[in-house]
Amino acid sequence: MSVKGFKEMDFYRKQVRSDCVELLSRFQKTDSVRFEVFSNIWREMKFSHIFYGTLNREKRAFSRLILDTAYSFFLPPFSFQIRVGGLYLLYCLYQCQTASPPEQIRLALKDWLDLSKFEKDAVDAQHLDAVYILRQLMFQKAFNFTAMPTVLVYKKKRKVEKSAPCEEFMERATRPQELINIELLEELSNIHELYGNLKSSVSLTSEQADPSFNLVRKDLIPQLRSTVMDFYKWQQRKDGTDEDEDSDEGTSSKQECSKRAELIASIKSKAFGEAAEAPKSRRHRQVEVNQTNYEAGPSHSSGYSRRNKPSLKTRTNENLYISGDLWKEVTTATHISRLTTLDFVRKEKPKEYKKFKW
Amino acid sequence: MGIGADTMADLKSVCSLDSLRCHPVDQPPDTDFVPPDPTLRTLIQRKKKQDHRASLKICKNRHDLYADELERLTVGRKPEEEADMVPEGEVVLTINVYYPATFEKFTYVRPHVTLLMTGSHSLAELRDAICCVSDLQVCGEFSNTPDMAPDFISKDHYKSAFFYFEGVFYNDMRYPECQDISITTIEWAKTRNFPAYSQAKMEDTRFVDLKLKVGFPYLYCHQGDCEHLVIITDIRLTHENDCLDKKLYPLLTHKHRVTTQKCAVCHVYIGRWFTTDDQFAPSDPCLFCDKCFRMLHYDAEGNKLGEFLAYPYVDRGAFN
Repeated sequence: MSVKGFKEMDFYRKQVRSDCVELLSRFQKTDSVRFEVFSNIWREMKFSHIFYGTLNREKRAFSRLILDTAYSFFLPPFSFQIRVGGLYLLYCLYQCQTASPPEQIRLALKDWLDLSKFEKDAVDAQHLDAVYILRQLMFQKAFNFTAMPTVLVYKKKRKVEKSAPCEEFMERATRPQELINIELLEELSNIHELYGNLKSSVSLTSEQADPSFNLVRKDLIPQLRSTVMDFYKWQQRKDGTDEDEDSDEGTSSKQECSKRAELIASIKSKAFGEAAEAPKSRRHRQVEVNQTNYEAGPSHSSGYSRRNKPSLKTRTNENLYISGDLWKEVTTATHISRLTTLDFVRKEKPKEYKKFKW
Repeated sequence: MGIGADTMADLKSVCSLDSLRCHPVDQPPDTDFVPPDPTLRTLIQRKKKQDHRASLKICKNRHDLYADELERLTVGRKPEEEADMVPEGEVVLTINVYYPATFEKFTYVRPHVTLLMTGSHSLAELRDAICCVSDLQVCGEFSNTPDMAPDFISKDHYKSAFFYFEGVFYNDMRYPECQDISITTIEWAKTRNFPAYSQAKMEDTRFVDLKLKVGFPYLYCHQGDCEHLVIITDIRLTHENDCLDKKLYPLLTHKHRVTTQKCAVCHVYIGRWFTTDDQFAPSDPCLFCDKCFRMLHYDAEGNKLGEFLAYPYVDRGAFN
């Protein structure tokens, strides 16, 4: 698999990801984990067509790209429904891919535990189709057991675009509840009682324990429990209000945030747009501001106002000018192989090649 | 799992591939072209690229041809004898060995060779699989004795080499001429504030015994000063689709082809001789292929004509 093929596939990465997100968000809206529902959506979107149009080596590189993208949806921290959707997506993509022999799904070592837990959860909840599909994939040897989730390719980009994971797919945080569960509380209260008994048996006076022995908070366990319950109730309330309230509320807070962001962005652009006036002694080196276009192209991130210094080549071309034949000779490279050619000069037409804008 | 046969049958039918088919049964689609009216963003983008490609007249990419050729030889090959079969549970490593860097020219590409190796191979086998042009270099001036040149390849003279992985230098000690060239680095490191390095033998170490970091640069040094960067890009268990013939490993999957310099006279053959102070040559220095070199500089009996200095030249693309 050529390195160049992978680099070209990078251009497709964003669109592929948005297509997968579209499919999974439709699946999320149905609130179901059944494969029939998923395949309905698949057929509606005509997702198998995503593989059409690739030629030869592109097939393998594209399969690799889309399987890697889909794999990310199969792992935590996404919610269970999304993970099931990710599994179905992997299955469908694996079956419908055009590369032959088929490109495998890479399963990294670190994800093996998560996978086993997921399978266990699915079995416990009797989601038979999810379990069936997982076992079917295993049976068809679709997995490649690897050390790292993706094959290492060295990209030389100045700005690495970090795609933010979908917020809607994320699972609600449950760490406090997981940490402080019923069994833990029971055990803690048992130990607390034992400790209290031990203390009173040690103290000499039978009436009351010496106040200097009071090193532990007496009501630790009930307090812990109430804190966790409060957190849980707050979470429920937050989710409840998010669903109940009108979208107006949401947009107004969003509007506030965007107003503030706009204000900051305008201040920043002004700061960089005007050059500070140099003191009298340096006036001859006054910085001139280039009236460049601040319209953000697809490759620039908004608010990134650093100007790249033009290269030595462009600067030389702009500043230096020699007329006529000498200029042509100076700009073109010496062809050492042409040192011994015949005398007549063939008129050369430079080949025109339109570059594709991604 | 304890579910009944009916449920199994239901499951099978629901999850079968038929449910994924996005076209009517009797019209198999043409998979080479993007279907009309695409709704998926990927397809919209791909259609644009397809239309652009149709407007140009590009013939098949030469590099794709080479890559196809390499793949055809290796993918899915099973051995004739059972003994040569790669066992199940074997680990396959993907190793990138980079060509020695040229600092006078800044390159956007990092040319490299990708080799696949199994865990039970030794480092010495990896060493044998790495082809570097500096191994073929011949030192010395040969204008008076042009026929003697091939006897002096550097590979035979300087057989020492080492690998450096995770603080251990693995030296090649198979031949009596091999010296321990890592000892200089180790002694130098002792005088400075470096953690202590250790040594081991290349031929006794197998890949399963090594502790490695994926993506971390390591070193392969031979000829005393020719250094190659070695990076492990992937480690995985073998799969039925891999090449299962042990004899074919180390397996070459990718190789950068370097443009070669041709002879200054015929522009057809790759240059093999390098001359300086040459009264016959148009430039100083000048490159010749073997035939043109002999025709120009020697007469029919093989006597040297004129004054010149000639050195055997090994082109960087000699392994293309």
